[in-house]
Parts: sequence; structure tokens; C-alpha cells
Amino acid sequence: MPREIEFREALREAMSQCMRDDPRVFLMGEEVAEYNGAYKVSKGMLDEFGPRRVIDTPISENGFAGLGIGAAMMGLRPIIEFMSWSFSLVAADQILNNAPKMLYMSGGQFGCPIVFRGNNGAGGQLGSTHSWCVESLYANVPGVKIVLPTTPYEAKGLLRTAILDPDPVFFLESERMLGMKGDVPEEPYEVPFGKARIVREGTDCTIVSFGRPVHFCIEAAETLEKDGIDCEVLDGRSVRPLDIDAIVKSVRKTNYCVVVDQAWPFASISSEIASQVHKRCFDDLDNHVHRVNADDVPAPYAYNLEQEMLPNARKIVEAVRSATYQA
Amino acid sequence: MSIDITMPRLSDTMESGTILKWNVKEGDEVSSGDVVADVETDKATMEMQVYDDGTIARIVVDEGDTVDVGTVIAILAEEGEDPSGVDSSSESSEKKSKKKEAKASDDEDEEDSSDEEKSTATATKDRDDDEDDDSEEDDSDRESKSKKKDDSKKESRREDSEAESDDRGEKDSDRSRSDEGAGGNGRLRVSPVARRLADDHQIDVRNIQGSGPSGRIIKRDVMNAIESGAETRASVPPGAKRKSTSDVAHPIVPAAAQDEDQAPGPLEETSIKLSNMRQTIAKRLVESKTTIPHYQVTLTFNMDPLLELRKTLNQQLEPQGVKLSVNDFLVRACAIAMHRHHEVNASWGEDHIKVHGEVNVGIAISLPASRGGGLVVGVIRNADQMGLRGISAESKRLAEKARTKGLTTEEMSDSTFTISNLGMFGVEHFTAIINPPNSAILAVGAAIQKPVVRDGALAVGHEMQATLSLDHRVIDGAMAAEYLRTLKQIIENPASVLV
Amino acid sequence: MTTATQPQAEENLAAKLPPDTLQQWLRDMLLIREFEVRTMQAYQDRKIGGFCHVYIGQEAVAVGCTAAVEHKDPIITAYRDHGHALARGMDPRYAMAEMYGKIGGCAKGKGGSMHLFDKPNNMFGGHGIVGAQCPLGTGLAFATKYEDEVMKGGTNTRVTLCFLGDGALNQGAFHEAMNLAGILDLPIIFICENNGYSMGTAISRGTTMGHNITSKAAGYGMESAIIDGMDIFTVYNGMKPLVDRCRDTSRPIFVDMRTYRYKGHSMSDPRKYRTKEEEQQYESNDVIDKLANWLMQEGHLTEDAYDKLVKEIRKEVRASMKWADNSPEPDIKELYTDVFVEEWGPFLGTSPPQIVKDAEGAGNDEDDDETREDDDD
Repeated sequence: MPREIEFREALREAMSQCMRDDPRVFLMGEEVAEYNGAYKVSKGMLDEFGPRRVIDTPISENGFAGLGIGAAMMGLRPIIEFMSWSFSLVAADQILNNAPKMLYMSGGQFGCPIVFRGNNGAGGQLGSTHSWCVESLYANVPGVKIVLPTTPYEAKGLLRTAILDPDPVFFLESERMLGMKGDVPEEPYEVPFGKARIVREGTDCTIVSFGRPVHFCIEAAETLEKDGIDCEVLDGRSVRPLDIDAIVKSVRKTNYCVVVDQAWPFASISSEIASQVHKRCFDDLDNHVHRVNADDVPAPYAYNLEQEMLPNARKIVEAVRSATYQA
Repeated sequence: MSIDITMPRLSDTMESGTILKWNVKEGDEVSSGDVVADVETDKATMEMQVYDDGTIARIVVDEGDTVDVGTVIAILAEEGEDPSGVDSSSESSEKKSKKKEAKASDDEDEEDSSDEEKSTATATKDRDDDEDDDSEEDDSDRESKSKKKDDSKKESRREDSEAESDDRGEKDSDRSRSDEGAGGNGRLRVSPVARRLADDHQIDVRNIQGSGPSGRIIKRDVMNAIESGAETRASVPPGAKRKSTSDVAHPIVPAAAQDEDQAPGPLEETSIKLSNMRQTIAKRLVESKTTIPHYQVTLTFNMDPLLELRKTLNQQLEPQGVKLSVNDFLVRACAIAMHRHHEVNASWGEDHIKVHGEVNVGIAISLPASRGGGLVVGVIRNADQMGLRGISAESKRLAEKARTKGLTTEEMSDSTFTISNLGMFGVEHFTAIINPPNSAILAVGAAIQKPVVRDGALAVGHEMQATLSLDHRVIDGAMAAEYLRTLKQIIENPASVLV
Repeated sequence: MTTATQPQAEENLAAKLPPDTLQQWLRDMLLIREFEVRTMQAYQDRKIGGFCHVYIGQEAVAVGCTAAVEHKDPIITAYRDHGHALARGMDPRYAMAEMYGKIGGCAKGKGGSMHLFDKPNNMFGGHGIVGAQCPLGTGLAFATKYEDEVMKGGTNTRVTLCFLGDGALNQGAFHEAMNLAGILDLPIIFICENNGYSMGTAISRGTTMGHNITSKAAGYGMESAIIDGMDIFTVYNGMKPLVDRCRDTSRPIFVDMRTYRYKGHSMSDPRKYRTKEEEQQYESNDVIDKLANWLMQEGHLTEDAYDKLVKEIRKEVRASMKWADNSPEPDIKELYTDVFVEEWGPFLGTSPPQIVKDAEGAGNDEDDDETREDDDD
């Protein structure tokens, strides 16, 4: 039965249900146990599963990320929480060199069924070091799956899929969305990776995005509708695997494409999608693919500067107008 | 069996080595692990050991000589073997190395350059954080590497500036490009989908004025060209003007926003840039009006029976959400009338007249200002095969789609006859310009209540005037009159449209 | 509060083992030595590419340590990994073929010299980045304890051996792993194979307290020991009680294993940073000679038997080279296998290497000299 719960509760429910089903699943990270989670995602889990399965770690990302990978090599199913993906950078060697390559380097002997999850993205005036959007950076590495949920329903289904997945999954949440409410079924269910969700159907321009900016896209589409521009909004769900087929199908219909990506523009998901769309939809495009990214600068602290730096509905509206020659 | 000792690869990038010093001489006994020579590699001076026990039978390469990795440099006689009798187990390889030496001295330059190429190739391949052994890189490597660095720097700078124009400076760069003028350099800018659409419709893009940046021809321009290709009327609703970037200086004020009671101010003289659709309308209709010998035939229809039938039908159909219009009856009537007058459903083909096998009735649809104004002709295919409800649904769909999303080319093509109805504006009578390649167009006025003579008595009834414009090359006056008479029979006995 | 023990263990446990066992140790060390010599040769013949780090001189460490644990105990090490793989029981054919970049390699030629994995023998790899295997090792120890205690409800039964070089002492990953092992009470022994040089830098030049690295463990309140790694008896005698204690208490231990590599850091290292005399001093007191001499003195080995053993091993290693030579190169489709477990997009899923297939179908073709095509669909 669906009932309205918060995003963080949806995440917790996905983890708890998997942990009840499978004793190999455990949760480890900073403040996940006694503190009930830095963002209260794991609230109550220590009480249910005990300290052997909900494990507090020191602030030692490279250490516990590597520990998780070693445990996954032995066949456990770790969920490793990064309080922020910004902190995953100090664990880069483990999460980029070991997790995604273990299966390959061992010639298929040792897989790495692990989920790294935590908050990703800017918007909370945290300054440059704490405002990373890691999806573009990490998407460059083969062997990982990268997922960005957009609603409580999506979050629960995608996280379950991630925990059951035999490969390493980077699960990128947003602290700005943890309080978002939505209808979520009580029973377990899976939402597939690599299958984009059509959030809104339209005929005049395709807007593709991932994670939190999908909501800005919806807002922009509503504004544009008043001007008679009927946008189709796609939530890609996972950056890797990328559902390029769904994007291509939509662009063939609309002839225009805007990609909204909260990471920096250079060598980014948006540039990758633009490249693939230009390749596969060359004869269907009436204009080059337009991109809305964070500005190519470190994330600033000042509220106005930070807001200006990030993708927002206004920028998306402008991009769609420009792409469809209606600026 | 003797064992060849070959020049070993002593570093990951080593291609050749120089024997600096032999630590053994012919006849010396050696055992596995003994250092027999010092070899200079591309990176360092290394000790060279042997891997087998035995006696040095021959030293093939002298101190100071440089040979490729893999070249035999000495031969080892195994235990119990006579050192004086042994020869290389691969005599040919020895010869090859000698030949190589000779060649090197003959043709040193060539050899050098190819070596350099090789070493560069390997040097770029072998990077690893684990090793810090490139401190003794030779100069050529360093040079080629630094050259590469410069190149990549240039490239990234170029990419930077591209990225900038992509995201930030788009307007600026567009402006500077448009200064050159569209196609000023003889190159036509056409978006890929616009080019594809134009090809599909056999439209020459050179005749289209692009409205995109730098005069780029975009999908909208081609769509407009296709639409106005089907244009039939010379008169275009006032204010019908498509929105485009060039129009921004003269925004259209929506009709609803105009206050009717307000005293009108003086009219401002403005010059409105022609849209593609407007240009095409102008071109096609001048062509039609000046090349087709038009004439008109007008007939008045008693509309009472039809209006009565329509009322009854609409009452019955209301629960199903169907509402038939007068025009739906007209489309049906015109279409079935063609079965008795094939010649009206025809086209002029210069040296022949083509009588069509399908009856496809075009209906002129005016577009709202928000979609740029103008008008298009939507086509109800095989209208003679369709019932009233089908015609009604299709014509509603076409009108709605034309006014919101625009019609596809297919929805605007292949009409054989066109109806233009201004009855909804209260117009009593007008004439229309033929929509080529049609040979006839029916201009329909309003059904107006007026004093009429019915059965010799004056009465109040509804009458409608319809005027057929015809191409005299295809259809003569009497033929036109007969077609209209048939149409009148059908309309005044409307039950026949139902079957 | 370090409880570092001295090099000499109280009791010569090794000497009490059956002579068969000690003869097997000798064989294992000889196999590693010969394998490494031929590795150098094959590298110089350009059969082996990339980076290559040989284990010559340190044989007693890998053989003695693996002898002190059980087969079910996971081991993990850094990139100088040939010795550990062979000591753990990897067939030299798979190791050699791996370095030759052939399909018969333990990782189908996709890992190379620095990345030898052997799942059937609980060898969790060779790892290329200095120190990066330490957090992984804590993960292995975490998992064994979790399986035994949380999933099965019993007590911990396994000990993880995590080998590292002295160069790894200065990596953050090592310190984070030590701290986690301490905080989480993990059954792991960190064995620092202290050969005195991190690449070309002597320990005194790169590591504070380099003369007494057990002080690193003291900082984590961890039990530690100094063991002479240049004698397999001291290695075994030192390690055995530590392994037993680690298994019982499930507490981590750090070992300063004093050893020496006779050869350079890698194949392109001219070893100018140390003297010939230093090298000769170690080589004259060779680990293999020591054990062979002891066995002879005790009457468990004759000169003839030794020569025969040496020849036998030489033959075995040569056969492994031939086998590696004959093994085909990996099919180009291998480029896209083992990226992800399941098939999607251009990726072809995963398929086990021959080392795993042979272990599963053990006994089918022990003496099969022919490399079979890996013709999985």
C-alpha cells in the first residue's frame, strides 16, 4: 500500500528490507549507527540490526571504502555511506582503482557487489570542498554504475536494485531532497537501471537530466508550456548505464535537445550525451544540443553566487528557447 | 647443444644496448646468475647475468658495440660440450646482426630516425606511478614529449574557446557571423532535420529564407515553405504574422488585450518583415492568379433542410460528444458530387489533364497569431469514402493540430479540391484563388436567414451562397454549372449525404 | 605499550615438524627462486611486458608465513606477488601465462605481473598501488569474522594475512587500515616485508622511526613483533604463535619482517643506491641454502636428492614457460568481458579463467600440456 513518506525514509526502507532478506547486507559509514545517521537516513537501524550490521566508522573514507571492497570480494554485500560524496575524493583510489576494476583485473574471479551512497551536489552554501557533483568525474571510469534518484518512489526502488546488483554502484542522493515527500509502496520493489523515465510527455523539445535538476526541468517545462512550447522531460535515472535509446527516441520526435547536468560542463555527462545525440540524431536535429551545467568555476559560498552557478529553471527555459529558435 | 646469449631487455623501454664491458672472456666458465657484462641501456648502466651454467664459447659482439635487444652477443657451451666446436644455435640471427651493423654504418641517418621514432612510441606508452625511472630519459624522448605537451596545450585552449562560445558567447558569435551575411561565402546553412524535410518534399532549400542564427534554415522555415506551398487565398487575415527573432521589436498585441472602447490612436506606419510563409503565400498565389485562367460561378443554396437535419443529428449525437458542422456536410457533399463529375477532381498537366482517382478535400485553416498567423490547408483524404462523423472528427483534428502543434507534410499534401469557408465571419459572398494543382476551389459564405420564396410564397428561410473558382483550361462553364447543380441537389436533400 | 617480541622465538616449532613438510618448504622456495630467475629471463626476452618485480631473496617470508596459516585463511599482498601466489599453491603455468599476457593466465592475461589472483587458493591478489591492499585486507578480515559470527552465530575461525612493503608504511591507506583493524577488532596480521628500500630510497631516508617500525603499531595499541625473514625457521616460529593468537583473540597484529631483495625494485633498476658488499652479505647467507644445509645435517636430504630436486624444478618452470608460450593470446572479445558481471550494452558479462575451471573440475587434466581454447560462449 502506498503512503506518503520522506525521501530519507524511502532510502531507509530499501536498506532495511534488503538487510532483513539477506544477512550478507550491512551498512557502514560515519555516524550511521549511534547518531542515527548524519542526515537521519539510517535512523532506527541500529536498534533493529545491532552494531554488527550497522557500523560506525572513524572519519577515514579511504580506509572504510577499501574495507567494504575487501568484504565484497569475500562475497558480502556492503552498503558504504559517504556522508557526502565530496569526501569520497579521499577514497578515490579505492572506489576508482579497486571497486570497478577488480572483476577485470582478476579475470572474472572476484566481483565487487557493493553500494556506495550518500549526498551529492551543491546548493547548501557549503563552499567549494563540500559541494561536489561527482557524477561526471566518476562516470569516466568503466566498471561502475552511477545512479541518481529523483523522488522517494524512485529512491526506494533504485536503491534496492543497487543492493541486489552484482557490480559496484555509486548511489548519488541529494541532501536538498531528503525531506521531499511522495507516495511509496510499503512492499519491496525494484526500479531498473538504464531505463529512463518520461516525466512529462511533449512534442517540441527534449530535456534530459538526472537527479535533483529533473525537478528544475519540470518547473521549466511548465513555464514553457504557457508559451506554447511543449517539452518532453526525461529522468535518466542512471548515468551509467545510460539509456541513450530513450533520449534518441525522444529527440527524433522533437528535433531539439537540452541536457541539464549539475556538474561542470567540461568533459561532463552533458557533453557525453550531446556527443551521442549528435552522432545518433544528426539528421533529426534542427539545432545543436544545448547544455545547462553548473558554471565552470569552483562552488562559491555566497548565496546569490551559488544559486547563479547552479542549473535552475530560468536557465533551462532560456536554453530551450534558444535551442528551439524562440529566444 | 649450445645456448645463445642475447642482448637482454634491461628496462621497459630499452630497444638496443651497448656492451660497455665484458667481465668474461672466451673459455671462461660461468654459472647461472654470474654477471658477464655491463650493458648501457637507454636509462642506466646495468649488469647482465647469464641464466645457465657453461663455458663462454664465443663472444660475438665487442665492447663498445650497440645492438638491438634479442641479438646474439655471445654463445655458451653447455657442460660436456666442446667450446671450440660450437656455433650459434641460430646462425641466421648472428648473420642478421652482422648485416645490421653493416647497414648501420652505411646508412646511419635513416637508422637513427627510425630508432628515434620507435623509442618515442614506447616512451609514451610506459607511465606508472610506481616507478621513478624516467630521470635519465634521453634527450630525444624529452623533446618529443615536450612537443606533445605543447600540442595538447594548444588543443585544450582551442577547446576552451569553443566551449565558451558554445555556452556563453553564443549570441556574440552568432552576431559576428551574421555580419558576413547568410551564405555570403556561398555556403548555405541548413539544419540537418531541415535539410532532410526539404529533401523529402523536394523543396529546393536555396529558395528558402533561413530564420535561424546567421540565416540558418531551420525546420520551421521548411515547414512554413511546405505549408504555404498549399496556400490558396490571396487574402490573409490581418495581423497574421509569424513570431520570429526579427519580430521582437514589434510584438503582437493579442486581440483580447485591445480595449474596443478606447479611442483608436493614430495608426503607426510600420514595415513588417516577411516570414517565409508569407513569402511563399505571395509567390504561389501570384503564380496561381496570373497563370491560371480563373472564372467564377455562384449558386445559392436553400439551407433549411440541412440545418434541420444537422440539428436533429447533433441532438442524437450529443451524448457521444459529436457535433457536426455545416462545413462537414459540405465536405461530404463536395466529395460525393465528384463521383458524378470526375473532371472537376482534376489537375492541369501542361500537355494533359490528370483526373485523380482519389477525392482528397482540402480545408483552409487560418492559424492563430501565436503560431505566426497565415493559413494552411489540411487534407481530408478519401473524403468520399468517409461518413459524416469521420469527416467531422478528421477536420476537427486537423484544425486543432494545425493551430497547436502544426500539421505534418503528409497532412497537407495531395488535395484534389479545396473548400474555403468564411461563413463563420458572416461573409455572404467571396471568391477564392485556386490552390494549385487543384482545378477548383469552393468559397463558402454564411447561411443567412432572409426572406425567401418557397413554393411561390414569401417565407423566412436560410440561404447560403457558394462560389466556385475554376481553371478554365480544365473545366468549362457548363461543367462547373453541372457540378454546382449536383451539389445543390445534395445539399437541399441532405438525407443523401447520410448514405 | 608495544609488545614487540625479539627475533628468536622461544621454541623451534619448525624443527619439530615432519621432514616432509620441511622438504616441501625447500621445494616451494626453490620453485619461487627458479620461477623468478626465469621471469627475469623471459622479461629480458620480451615475453613479459610492463613492470615486473621479482621476489628473489624474500622466499622464506612467503613460504614461512603461508605455512603458519591454513588454506582457508585469506592472503593479500602488493605488486611483488609472484612468491605469495606460488607459496599459496598457484600452478606456475597460470602465473607465467598471466605475465605472458595469455588466455591461460590466472586472470586471462588481463591483470599482469602485479595482479595475480587465485580464488581457489584464497589468494586475493597482487595489488599495484602501494598500500592500497591494506584497507582491502581489513575488509577480508571483516568478512571472515562477519560470516563466522554474524551470519553463522559462531566465533571467528580465520586469519587474514595482509603483506605490505616498507614503502607502504608512509601511505595513508596503511594507517587507516591499521586504525580500522584496531577499532573493529579484526583478525588480521599486517606483515611488513621490510627489505630496507622503498624503490630506491633506503628506509632511513623515507620513514621516520625506520629503525623500529613496530613503533607504528604502538600508535594503534596493536601487538607487534620483529621477525627475521631471512630464515624460514624464524619466520615460521615467529608467525605460528601470532597466527594462533590472532585466530583466538580476533585482534590485529603487526609484524616487522626483516628481509632483503637480492634484485632491484623492478627490472630496470640498476641498484646504484646500495653497495655490492651489502648484497653479497645477504646472498652468502641465503635462505634456501640455510634450509638445505639444515636438512642435510639432519639427514633428511642428500646432495644428490637436492640436485635432483633442483633439476626437477627447473624442468617444471621451463614447462610452465612452454605452456605459457603455447597458450593463445586472449580473444579480442575478452576486452569486453569481466567489466560487469551481467551483460548489457557492449559488455559481455563474465567468464571464469582456466585456473577456476580447473579447480572446479579438479583432476580432469592435470598433465595436459596443451592449452585448451577458452571457447565459452
